[in-house]
Amino acid sequence: MSLGLEALASSFQGLIPAVLFTASREGIPNAAYISHVEYVDSAHVALSFQFFNKSRKNIAENPQAAVHLIDPDTQQGYVLHLRYVRSDTSGPVFERMALRIEAIASYCGLKGIFKLLAADIYEVVSLEKSAEEPACDETLAVVRRQAADPLFTMKALQDLSERVRSAGSLEQLLDSILAGLEEVFGFTHSMILLAGEEPNTLVMIASRGYPEAGAGAEVRMGEGIVGMVAEARKPIRIAGLIREMLYALAVRKRAQEAGQQRIDARIALPGMANPESQLGVPLVVRGELIGVLCIESEIQYRFHEEDKTSIEMLGTYLALAIQNMQLHERADAADAAEASAAAAPADTRREAAATAHAVAFYPKEECIMVDGEYLIRSLPARILWKLLTTRERDGRHEFTNRELRLDKSLNLPEWKDNLETRLLLLRRRLEQKCPDIRIAPRGRGRFALEVSAGVTLTEHA
Amino acid sequence: MISPEVAAFLEAGQSIYIGTCDRALRPEGARAIAATVDEGRASLTLYVPQVAVHRVLPNLEATGQAAVVFARPSDDHAYQVKGTFMSARPAEARERAVVEAQWKGFQQNLDIIGVSHRLVERWPHWPCMAVRLQVTALFNQTPGPGAGASVA
Repeated sequence: MSLGLEALASSFQGLIPAVLFTASREGIPNAAYISHVEYVDSAHVALSFQFFNKSRKNIAENPQAAVHLIDPDTQQGYVLHLRYVRSDTSGPVFERMALRIEAIASYCGLKGIFKLLAADIYEVVSLEKSAEEPACDETLAVVRRQAADPLFTMKALQDLSERVRSAGSLEQLLDSILAGLEEVFGFTHSMILLAGEEPNTLVMIASRGYPEAGAGAEVRMGEGIVGMVAEARKPIRIAGLIREMLYALAVRKRAQEAGQQRIDARIALPGMANPESQLGVPLVVRGELIGVLCIESEIQYRFHEEDKTSIEMLGTYLALAIQNMQLHERADAADAAEASAAAAPADTRREAAATAHAVAFYPKEECIMVDGEYLIRSLPARILWKLLTTRERDGRHEFTNRELRLDKSLNLPEWKDNLETRLLLLRRRLEQKCPDIRIAPRGRGRFALEVSAGVTLTEHA
Repeated sequence: MISPEVAAFLEAGQSIYIGTCDRALRPEGARAIAATVDEGRASLTLYVPQVAVHRVLPNLEATGQAAVVFARPSDDHAYQVKGTFMSARPAEARERAVVEAQWKGFQQNLDIIGVSHRLVERWPHWPCMAVRLQVTALFNQTPGPGAGASVA
């Protein structure tokens, strides 16, 4: 092969379905589209095996095949002549392909139907450019390709690690990293979700670039790209989401026609309404899932292989930094003077007469509604209710993290309660939905409940 | 053999590939630009760019067997036609308008899915070889569990 497989990196993204040519032992050819061709090494590729079909039958009879691939950056076509080697149902190649396919399936309510049965490994016998599919004009291609050079990547990571090092709080750390992703890499839409209070859930704690910040939004394991990344603890990159979803939706239609399985309702995409490219990396420390960092773009094939490597590396730093910061803030809170809260002055109650909010707590659902609209649930809801009722009863408006920890009624887990993270989440949710009620940090392990409007409290049985 | 509905789909400007193999069962394929279903709907003519026809024509002449997949990029709806080779000749000037119209249809389909048609402007779509195939079978090739089902 004079042309190296590495040169086809962009073509291995599944943005444009490939065509697989096979032939039966009787010499009857077959032509079919396949969703993914994956780079394995300089001499091998893997093809997605999702359904038992004629191509698969032919390969069992005759291991020779040909594949046409299109580079999504330039539209250059390539012809690969292949020889079947084996089918992998586990291992890194299978897992990489399966995750991407499952992420698409999750969006389309196709779990169990649109799945990878095996990664079929083929030796690449020859590789050439197809004369009928030459590359587009360079000026058009350049707009789409923004692959970073190694020096840029090193500097970018250096910048981000400096942000990690200099952050003074969890909030600063998260915001600074998301800002850095935009300023350094140009990734304008990003979010960080941390492990939720309930098992197998993640909660949005920080985001950038979205009209709705979405603090408090929950994602279950296995749902969408974030849930898939969390479940598998492996990064997922999707190059052309709409394109891949079209393929999956074609499958969905066929499955419905075949009456094969009831199709679950489609899960709404978090974040962008129409993301084209997504990249999610798990934040893991010593086997523990801390959260997920997810980046989106409306541009097809926005995130290249180099980006995935860089963001994965950033994820490693970030996971450690978040965990350290959580431990640090907890230790800080424990050290903070408890007395300051006890001696705190009475609430100045500078409520604006014109505004009054009806705050309702539903203990059974552990949920707070403000003026009839959902605000927050679980531990942050219990905390807010505790703060508001204490303020109303005692006139207190300053609190310590320590007293919350000692309050049995809040039912904090004894081990890793992540109280500081939940307070941050509550603060952000209030900023978004009810800025008249604020949680204002007051130094180490202390904060104030600031209320600049009238508030009526109702607890529903 | 081919229903009027399927014929209309095949002639609407889809992404088309023809698959063949040589006597040693080595598969080989090429992109085609357009197709017309012949009168009687038992055969069709495929327009393969001259620059690519060398990959499939020797195989067609040697084995006589072909598989052609037609896919609509906007929803991946697809059919596969199996056929036997009848003849090949340079496409005539009078056929160019049909080829151009289907090529435009394909480009419009790309625009729908967000791939600018300008990116394929350089793909040669004329001159073509007109490859005539006798249709022996037709399959629904839309991806999914039922892909490959025969279409009556």
